Amino acid sequence: MLCQNCGKNEANIRYTQIINGVKKEIALCSHCAKKLGVEDIELPINFNSFLGDFFNDYAETEFLPMLQTNEVKCKTCGMTYNDFINTGVFGCSDCYETFSNPIDSLLKNLHGTAKHIGRGPNGKAEKIKIEDSKIEKKENPEEDKKEKLEKELEKAIKEERYEDAAKIRDEIKEMNK
Amino acid sequence: MNWYLQSGKDSDVIISSRVRLSRNIEGIPFVGKCKEEELKTVYSKLKSIVSSLGYGLKFIDLKDLDDINKEVLVEKHLISPEFAKSKNPYSAIILNDEENICIVINEEDHIKLQVFCSGIELENLMNLAIEIDQKLENLIPYSFSKKYGYLTACPTNVGTGLKISVMCHLPALTVTGNIRKVLNAVNNLGMSVKGVYGEGSKAEGDIYQISNNQTLGVTEKEITKNLKLISQKIIEQERLARKYLGKKGLDLEDRIYRDFGLVSNARKISEEETRELLSSVKLGTDLGIIKELNDSKVAKLMLETKPACIQKRLGKRLSVYEQDIERANIIKEIIKEDE
Repeated sequence: MLCQNCGKNEANIRYTQIINGVKKEIALCSHCAKKLGVEDIELPINFNSFLGDFFNDYAETEFLPMLQTNEVKCKTCGMTYNDFINTGVFGCSDCYETFSNPIDSLLKNLHGTAKHIGRGPNGKAEKIKIEDSKIEKKENPEEDKKEKLEKELEKAIKEERYEDAAKIRDEIKEMNK
Repeated sequence: MNWYLQSGKDSDVIISSRVRLSRNIEGIPFVGKCKEEELKTVYSKLKSIVSSLGYGLKFIDLKDLDDINKEVLVEKHLISPEFAKSKNPYSAIILNDEENICIVINEEDHIKLQVFCSGIELENLMNLAIEIDQKLENLIPYSFSKKYGYLTACPTNVGTGLKISVMCHLPALTVTGNIRKVLNAVNNLGMSVKGVYGEGSKAEGDIYQISNNQTLGVTEKEITKNLKLISQKIIEQERLARKYLGKKGLDLEDRIYRDFGLVSNARKISEEETRELLSSVKLGTDLGIIKELNDSKVAKLMLETKPACIQKRLGKRLSVYEQDIERANIIKEIIKEDE
């Protein structure tokens, strides 16, 4: 398909526009796409503030004791809780102390708890070793059956029951197919 | 040899694994609030300790890399696309020749320590990450609170600062229509799942990334264990689906050889189409249907056909049309290569 803008180059970008429910599709070459500014479309949402909005929504619900945190400023970096809502990231380590009240509820929502239980600096380094679960040891039932048949075959031959042996042999042959 | 060309444990399903630790230096604001001098302090501090870390690590200033080389790092999943575009003059990475250790400096946090392996060997990976982390914390005082653990700019990373991700290739679960069920189950276990390529619900090339959400209130061991158990379940399900497909006579073999034929004979081929076809080719190689290729060749095909890698190989910028032609050539070259 050729580019619907210049009609010369092969189209390799499909641009879909939906305005008020009206869908328009156009195929463009990368050259025209760049010219029309549709290449590398960046979402208008800033993901950090997206996260911040989410935190704010939590803060507003009644089960969280919303404090007058907007006035409180972090002494070290000057960040307010509002700044955090806007950016989704804290300014410095001391922010965690400064805003510890709303942060606790926030962390409980994010992680289910607000208490660290992992390792810390200068702690002893315990090698992480996890026993393999039993899943891997589960054997293939088909292989099991085959093994059983092979044993039966051996037994049948030993006992000179050749008719049985032939039947078992055919069964194994069938499985090997 | 670079880690992504090696074949790892269970690499028929798990393409690669990554362990990431987010850390900040005590007494310096997080990157977003840093003044230029403070960014420089972080940068210089890490630059000065590289040689004492060992592992053959080298300090690379992002400014010294041209755009193509930065994009190659993104394509290898070593740095994020945002970081590659960062205007911060004190952005840097610490990298070794094998490229299985990559420390990103001055992204969202001062230090983002990452280790990678092909396949899945989470305990070894985790132990390596902790080993490097301990060397770092002997040289640099970390920002740490008894209550909240390692402090990070974003509260979604606080505590252990640990994110483990595994990249899975799940073509059989996709084709048999079971992928949603499996991914929903993974979601319900507190993990996030996303398609690595493509947009929306369609994961191009059937490649998915699974990682932990919770970083606080769990130990490193628990996170490792959870990821490992879930991966084992996924491996089991995918292999079951493959076995089922294999039993349907020639259908699977036919599809795989058709896709292999297309990808190896095309004269020009787009990135998306290559990814879709290589998914089939990888499946065929893993199942022993395609005998002309092996693990490492498939990994090489998957990497070397990405846009920046093609341009790096050719040593110049190429238009998308030219890339499509070169891509077809490179695929033929790699398939023909001797071991």
